[in-house]
Amino acid sequence: MDRQTTGLDFAVIGHQDNWANIRSLINIMRTDALEALPVSKIREVYDYIPPRAIFRMHVTSPLGMTRSGLYIETFIAPDKLTADHLRENIQKVRDAVAATYRLGIPMVILGGFTSLLLEGNIDDFREYGMAVTTGNTLTAAYVIKGIEKAVRQEGKRLRDCRVLIIGATGDIGMACTNYLKGKTKGVLLCARNRARLERFGRRIENEGHEVKWSTRIDELSGSADIIISVASSSDIGVSHLKGDVIICDAGYPKNLEEKLKDHPSVKLFHGGMGQLHHGYLFDPDYTTGFYRYPAEHLGHGCIIEVILLALENRLENYTIGKGNISEEKIEEIYALSLKHGITLAPFYNGNGLWPDQ
Amino acid sequence: METFQIDFSLPEVQSVVSDIYSQAITGELVGMSNFAALAGTIDDPHEKMEAVEHADSERKHAEGFMAYARKAGLPVNINMEGAYWKRVRRQFLNYADKNDFIACVIIQEVMLESFAVSMYTDAGKALGGESERLFLAIADEEREHLEHSIDLLKHELSKDPVGFVDKFEEIHFNCMNILSEFSATTDLGGHCGVCHGDCMKESLHHVGLEAATLRGNALKLYASTLDRIGIPGEKSIVWIAKLPA
Repeated sequence: MDRQTTGLDFAVIGHQDNWANIRSLINIMRTDALEALPVSKIREVYDYIPPRAIFRMHVTSPLGMTRSGLYIETFIAPDKLTADHLRENIQKVRDAVAATYRLGIPMVILGGFTSLLLEGNIDDFREYGMAVTTGNTLTAAYVIKGIEKAVRQEGKRLRDCRVLIIGATGDIGMACTNYLKGKTKGVLLCARNRARLERFGRRIENEGHEVKWSTRIDELSGSADIIISVASSSDIGVSHLKGDVIICDAGYPKNLEEKLKDHPSVKLFHGGMGQLHHGYLFDPDYTTGFYRYPAEHLGHGCIIEVILLALENRLENYTIGKGNISEEKIEEIYALSLKHGITLAPFYNGNGLWPDQ
Repeated sequence: METFQIDFSLPEVQSVVSDIYSQAITGELVGMSNFAALAGTIDDPHEKMEAVEHADSERKHAEGFMAYARKAGLPVNINMEGAYWKRVRRQFLNYADKNDFIACVIIQEVMLESFAVSMYTDAGKALGGESERLFLAIADEEREHLEHSIDLLKHELSKDPVGFVDKFEEIHFNCMNILSEFSATTDLGGHCGVCHGDCMKESLHHVGLEAATLRGNALKLYASTLDRIGIPGEKSIVWIAKLPA
């Protein structure tokens, strides 16, 4: 396979999770000179497009280093992010990794759905000799550090709180559980796969921690002082909440707050995000109609993880498999984040920044 | 996989199959004429001979399609002056008149062959039987033209990456805009002048095809070909996004 020399340090493989974003992206590319295409027309072609680079990213550390990367879109249609399309989606991810290899890029993060190939040990792409990561360690770190900060800000103590983790048997859910199990009053675990949940719950119980588990959120939510949602599902409903519960929504799609309109005292933020303070530029810059965050230069933890590894020249498979994220790695990657001037994102949700941010 | 059974005795099926053959024959004759014109633009005697050989190959493809149509009693309408084919051909001749061999290769062997290989493959698999064998065999030969062009154009790109990509971009919008209008699910530029009655896109379902899939697969092959030539993805995605739809 031919390999180019692009001089790029990292690549991000990802996908879009809604058609509104795709419509914005395509119509920004078309520019105002051409008639905007409706979603119906874009859908006709979108998922036929082979994975390809969309834009470059340039990052600067306050320590003086700069690194450049490439965003590679898989062109998986948002409504095909389901088990029915697993085989074709896996092929698209493989094609995207092959494209990354051809561009001579030494390190790649598989973001969002695409991380499934690494988490599920479906493929580690060893044949390409590239470093691969899911980026889940830094996402988990930002979720946890966000929770710690919110708890302090609300005048609570973590060790007095019970934390409910929705999506507890996923890689990030397990990392959060393992990190928080000894630092909180107890953990409440919720996941869809009963057998896997039972196994994980028993393990935490056998370690001597207070733990309850259920496949039903409402059986656990009434006891939770903190809720972390890291599940990928559009039908998560939360009820029976304590009035002052703190919620970190780090799942996709983010729609918890829509279901919490009758709970004005709930403190909900979108977690797993960092803020790059010393330069985070895109070329071409499609963010004008596409960037939907209420603060500048926010990025997903998973993407920032590969940026940090590139800044540190650490060509390694930092986060692969499932359940391998240790407390030490969470602290290490978070320390690297701060070293390179990348902080936890300010608290925000679908209504904008929290008033005190 | 669900099998789609085609009843070739139905008039609506015969009509759409006739239109498919009419388009294929017209396209092959356009290809033949393009290669013949290309032969005149080339100085290198080996390339000149190869262009003539390709023209002859396209002629044989057209004859193969015509022979089957005759045997099957399909009335075909050959019209190289049909709206879209005429515009594509004019684009090609503009570059041929300037002795721009590389531009001619891009139009004929990348753009038109991407559409031919993909659509022949889809049509062949849908029609089955002798049509399938014919369409797939011709698609294989057209794929060889595509492969030949990739090696040549990779070499051109390596000589002047910026200049080559700029040139390709110009040709893309001149030619792919026409093919994109031609293959859009709604007939953006009016009647093609080849189909017998109304636009066949409305009738493709009679043979288990749909216009969106044909177009999607053709653009997929075109995009993959651009990748293999070495056109940066950041460029080609914008080119594709800007096509009429």
